[in-house]
Amino acid sequence: MKMKYMLVPLIMLSAATVPSHWNVRAQEAPRRIEITAKQFSFEPSEITVKKGEPVVLVIKSADVAHGLRFRELNLNVKVDKGGTAEMPFTPDKTGDFVGHCSVFCGSGHGGMTLTMHVVN
Amino acid sequence: MSGILRTTLLLAIAGLVGCKATPPGKFESRMMNFGKHHVFVGNKNQKNPLPDNRNTWNDGKEAFSHYCVACHGMDGQNTGVPFVDHISPPIPSLASKDVQSYTDGQLKSILDNGIWPSGMPGSKGTLSDDELWSIVVFIRHLPPAGSQGVPDLYTH
Repeated sequence: MKMKYMLVPLIMLSAATVPSHWNVRAQEAPRRIEITAKQFSFEPSEITVKKGEPVVLVIKSADVAHGLRFRELNLNVKVDKGGTAEMPFTPDKTGDFVGHCSVFCGSGHGGMTLTMHVVN
Repeated sequence: MSGILRTTLLLAIAGLVGCKATPPGKFESRMMNFGKHHVFVGNKNQKNPLPDNRNTWNDGKEAFSHYCVACHGMDGQNTGVPFVDHISPPIPSLASKDVQSYTDGQLKSILDNGIWPSGMPGSKGTLSDDELWSIVVFIRHLPPAGSQGVPDLYTH
């Protein structure tokens, strides 16, 4: 009899805690998008992310030092020659945002852009 | 090498040896300045979309250091540029009235397309729009002449 009284709240507690535990795990694993930077383009040159969904842009340099900056979103990351850098963030507004290479990388540097679509 | 080609080359070399760059006279300078401000350089009314603050100035200073310092020096006033006295038309100090009297839009147009007749090249495509606009802010608030030292490329 005592055992039955103990099991009921235990089962209820499990039912209540498991989904919230899953939620926490989901928040801890942001979507990762790999982007290759090379003179003078980003590959892919367009990405789409969701507002409110954490994301990590993983920038890999295939040649010289590069950077990626979204001025409107106050985001900037620099990546060494041949290296990798990460830009973690959570988009908080929808729209199309154009990021530019933020490290001077040669004659075509000014046209090196990445368009990010943030959707609901 | 054919005789005609050899003769042409010799004449070309002789002609170049005889060349000498002399600074333009006052009248010529005034005419050209008037022409540049009122005829050749357009985009008078475009406004700078970037805020005029310390962050933009810092961006402009960095962008300026990639490309512009070779002719204009780190301070925009030709400090440490070894050939500044050997070019005609001369490289202007960016702090001069002639330069500062351009509108922001005209400065952006010069940065985009260069300016004729001078050695100033266009930077559209080489630098992004944001970088070019931030350079306009840097030009509006140049550091004191000589305060930034000599460009690295002339110190080695």
